[in-house]
Amino acid sequence: MANDLVLDTAIRDWLLRSTNTPDLKAVKEGQLVVRARYLKAAGNFIPARAFKSRRSYYNNEENGLLHVPKSQVQNMQAQMFSDPNMAMDMMKKNLSIIIPQTLTFAWVNFFFSGFVAAKIPFPLTQRFRPMLQNGIDLSSVDVSYVSSRSWYFLNLFGLRGFFSLILGEENATDDTQKMMEMGGQMGGFGVDPLTAEKDGLELIQHEWALPKLEQQAESVLR
Amino acid sequence: MLETTVDEGVGDVVEWLALLRKFKLRRSDKVTIHGCALLSDPSSRKKLGSEVWTVYEQVAIASMDCQCLDISNLCIERLLSKFSNSVRVGRLEGMLYEAKGQWQQAEKKYQNLLELQPADAFIHKRKVAIAKGQGNLSSAVEALKQYLDIFMADHEAWRELAEIYISLQKYNQAAFCYEELIMMDTSNANWHLNYAEVYYTIGGVESLRIAKKYYASAIKLSAGKNLRALYGICLCSAAINQAKGRNKDEESIDLQSLASSVILKEYKEKCPKKLALVTSVLEKQKP
Repeated sequence: MANDLVLDTAIRDWLLRSTNTPDLKAVKEGQLVVRARYLKAAGNFIPARAFKSRRSYYNNEENGLLHVPKSQVQNMQAQMFSDPNMAMDMMKKNLSIIIPQTLTFAWVNFFFSGFVAAKIPFPLTQRFRPMLQNGIDLSSVDVSYVSSRSWYFLNLFGLRGFFSLILGEENATDDTQKMMEMGGQMGGFGVDPLTAEKDGLELIQHEWALPKLEQQAESVLR
Repeated sequence: MLETTVDEGVGDVVEWLALLRKFKLRRSDKVTIHGCALLSDPSSRKKLGSEVWTVYEQVAIASMDCQCLDISNLCIERLLSKFSNSVRVGRLEGMLYEAKGQWQQAEKKYQNLLELQPADAFIHKRKVAIAKGQGNLSSAVEALKQYLDIFMADHEAWRELAEIYISLQKYNQAAFCYEELIMMDTSNANWHLNYAEVYYTIGGVESLRIAKKYYASAIKLSAGKNLRALYGICLCSAAINQAKGRNKDEESIDLQSLASSVILKEYKEKCPKKLALVTSVLEKQKP
């Protein structure tokens, strides 16, 4: 088609107007989190009394700013699950990890089963048999002989640290790291940012940094 | 520089205006003159294309600053004819009411706009400006507190609030604001200094002790260059010693004598005429 696509200015105006309506509550929450983070990071620079009064202002059980009553937390969780975007994102992430891992595992099992791959130089007790001789069903084979399947798993987990040293922190061979990340994510799923900040603030011990600064001032002036 | 060429009439006004917008600089008199000239020429208006509306807004605000209200009226009318239902143009209308001193209408206008866009920081700030413009500091405080209830991480607002509290002599509240500012930027000596000054003003041995510590941190953060902080140390130590009477604070003497010797050195270098005066004042402070 020879016609170019012409953008109507009315559409442009409508788009710009409707996308730029920040929700008041969301803005307030965002700013609150930022302010609470400042308190967490630099609380030692204000006197102890000031820090404590601010902490209780955020965390107190009745009307503290960061306090989220239980009913609201459950609502948020339900919302997170039903929110289509987030659900899609999580699924995509999980699938992109699980599927390659499953395929690799199946391929390895098919090709590398049933034979012995290595011998460990030192003698081992019988209790190591299921760990090291995973594919081999003969119990008369010495435990020092490692089957290939077990060898694969041993290397996969064992050399993870080695690989991260050589290849740097982020690399595609590090599937197991992603797996652990995934596990961690599932565990910490229901925590919203306000409660996270609240817990962080609870943990902090206030240590007034000013006396140390006073001494440093003395040394500066000398 | 671009500005001088623009002044002489040869520079690119459009580029200069864009730079001012980008860096949020306020050159209201020049913007009014050059912007007006630009906008009254139909050919240059055509060349601007869709940027002309931003320039209209810029010139409207600048001319309000210079009290050339007919120019701003004209700009706003042109903008209204194009964007009839815009919150952004509504803000300009509100600002024009403010410039004319029609506070009630301005407030009503901003109230209406806030119903359309409740999270608009600019409008909230204009409400504070209305109160301040009328000289009503306590309602300015109220408006600013409402703003900070939503936008609590805005350090400029905290600074503004602290200054208003000081002019209202509400020193404890001002100290609260400076605490927020210190936490937002721990290495800025100014906040430590102001906090110390507030506590020094509140008075009493406990506050003076706190003030002294913060003067010291201001000294450390400014690498010993901040003269006000040095004076602060001397005065605080003297006041504490005076209040405590016989029991003198042993460790403070070091800091005080160090601070006074640095002050004397600075005066010797920079302003020897006043050296005698300063020496006698500092002598009196010594325990």
